Amino acid sequence: MKLADDPEVEAFRAEFAAFLDAHLPDEAGARERAGSSAHVPRWARRWQRTLFDAGWLLPGQPPEYGGRDATLPQQLAHLEELARRRVYHSFNPQGLGIIAASLLTFGTEEQKRRWAVPILRAEITAALGMSEPEAGSDLASLRTRAVPDRDGFVVNGQKVWTSGAHDADVLLAFVRTDPDAPKHQGISALLVPTGAEGVVRRPFGSIAAEDDLDFNEVFLTDVRVPRENLLGPLNEGWRVANGSLGHERTLLWLSYAERLEDLLRDAADAGAGQEWYATLRMDLTALRLLGHRQLGQDRDPAEISVLKLLGSEAVQSASLYALEAHGVEGLEHPARTGPYHHMHHEHFISSWFERYARSFAGTIAGGTSEIQRNIIAERILGLPR
Amino acid sequence: MEFELDEEQRLLRRTVRETVAKMRGRPEDQQWDTYLRLGWLEAPPLELALILEELGYAADPTPFLATATWFAPLTGRLPEGSGTAVFDGAGRYVLDADRADEVALLTGRGVIVVPGAELAAPRVPVLDPHLHAAHVDADGLVAAVPEPALLGLAATCVGACRRVLDLVLDHVRQRAQFGRPLGSFQAVKHKAADMHVAIERARALTHFGALTLAENDPRRTDAAHMAKAAAGECQRLVFRHGLQLFGAMGFTWENELQYHLKRAQACDLLLGVASVHRKALLA
Ligand SMILES: Cc1cc2nc3c(=O)[nH]c(=O)nc-3n(C[C@H](O)[C@H](O)[C@H](O)COP(=O)(O)OP(=O)(O)OC[C@H]3O[C@@H](n4cnc5c(N)ncnc54)[C@H](O)[C@@H]3O)c2cc1C
Repeated sequence: MKLADDPEVEAFRAEFAAFLDAHLPDEAGARERAGSSAHVPRWARRWQRTLFDAGWLLPGQPPEYGGRDATLPQQLAHLEELARRRVYHSFNPQGLGIIAASLLTFGTEEQKRRWAVPILRAEITAALGMSEPEAGSDLASLRTRAVPDRDGFVVNGQKVWTSGAHDADVLLAFVRTDPDAPKHQGISALLVPTGAEGVVRRPFGSIAAEDDLDFNEVFLTDVRVPRENLLGPLNEGWRVANGSLGHERTLLWLSYAERLEDLLRDAADAGAGQEWYATLRMDLTALRLLGHRQLGQDRDPAEISVLKLLGSEAVQSASLYALEAHGVEGLEHPARTGPYHHMHHEHFISSWFERYARSFAGTIAGGTSEIQRNIIAERILGLPR
Repeated sequence: MEFELDEEQRLLRRTVRETVAKMRGRPEDQQWDTYLRLGWLEAPPLELALILEELGYAADPTPFLATATWFAPLTGRLPEGSGTAVFDGAGRYVLDADRADEVALLTGRGVIVVPGAELAAPRVPVLDPHLHAAHVDADGLVAAVPEPALLGLAATCVGACRRVLDLVLDHVRQRAQFGRPLGSFQAVKHKAADMHVAIERARALTHFGALTLAENDPRRTDAAHMAKAAAGECQRLVFRHGLQLFGAMGFTWENELQYHLKRAQACDLLLGVASVHRKALLA
């Protein structure tokens, strides 16, 4: 254990910082950012492409996938550097961080070329179709069916909460391919082009605003999907899903740290003299430390749940404290922050009330806090199921 | 930064846990002599934090904590025998002041060391049956608490909390009600998970504090306050859930749980509870 930073990691950080200084477009500076939307303004596509070409998009990947074989601590330094400047490197975070990452883990060479690379190059965007009306926390109870047919599948069913699906070119959908198998064993992962016949997307508003249209219902009626769109082996989608969720949660803790950092900065004036400000600093420091620890060898992946729970709940309490400290001013809702409103330009000046309401995204999405507690109790502490 | 214990540190932790478990129930002198012989008092900050966590885990009855993290950092040397220190001007509830061979007093003109025998400081009864505390007549003393003392209490507190959680986990795995082990009920699991997260948070901040101390990093004062505050918050949660989950059994003297609950609570109360240190972070 040591405080000192590894010189190789620091050299890597400095190289990336210099790259950002030279190439970061003005639009990507402080206040321009998206929520979780797949809606991609043109400059953002260019910016993501620049990052990809320079090997700075997913630096942990090999060069042919836009990376530079960076070590885990280097990858963390890369994300920290982006966070420090409040820069989003992708306007399609699910596509980049979950779907492309899953494709690179589980995909065939052909699938990586056909789907992962275009997602990384911001030529197409992707959305994640896990949840269904009857399958939220209990994801394995999903019912969307894919029936084998000649050289592919016919898909029927419905997805919901599909972030950014309205703008996405492809959906990574989890579907039931063997209705007779035990719950976890009959699931497969399919890439469903959203332009295919039988795909209907209906965006709907979030708690933040009626026209904050990032959530979607996706209806799939007799959609034909070719066999080569199957990701991973048939009926082994559960493994892909767990891999995808792993990617999602790994990214999430850092985004909570980033958000806490923002809260700390933005709430500083209200925070002076307030005890919660200290709690915020402790949570942030602990989160960072535990996140660094998670980079160590042989860490139990279940420990990501500690980070997710700690981080998302800390962000939530922090925004509530800040809201209360600002008092009645917090009622105001000056900024329309949906993807159709100024591409989230105003995200950072949205009201404290909105920030508090939005903090529930963290405690619900990617596995609720209750589910994280179950994981901690069962997998880390060994309590019976 | 690297925030993973290295092989040697993990080995130390294992050795300390085994040694302390073996010494359990032996006379206090023997335990104390063993710790001295193993050189634990001279351990650098992070290693000391690991040792203290284990001693906290075992509700250690010896004057190790005060000697290693109160006396030694203040005087820059180890005492002949055991030692303690008076930091806060009021001189109340000074750990081990009734039995220390040497006592360090922090005055306006520096640190004075007096033989423990010269101080009339009879032991004050406290709820933790193994904890020694005494009031020291401390006129003219400066109220200032050095970081090592705060970190020592934080590390001990983390160890005690971890012990409570381990006892709770064993209990809820074995005890059945409604035809199922208690640990299979979600209300119980969620309390256990929250205790785990609170302990991990406090432990991370304690280790961070020890690292900053070892490297004389400018963040060390803040880090020590954070560690002490987080340990206190953790203690509060662990005490409440821990005792609750044992049911009436936790309310008895016979149950070992009490020692660890009390040790953890004592660590929070000594040298300022969590809210005091949270406030210190605002300065
Ligand atoms: C902002 C946001 C973005 C999202 N984006 C996507 C996306 O892109 N793609 C996608 O597929 N999904 C997405 N989701 C959906 C998300 O994954 C689900 O909302 C989540 O898994 C919870 O499912 P649910 O909403 O159906 O709640 P439920 O599962 O119905 O849970 C409701 C409540 O019951 C509790 N509960 C449920 N089961 C248990 C249990 N076993 N023990 C204790 N408590 C339990 C929950 O913790 C929660 O408090 C998103 C959600 C949000 C909020």
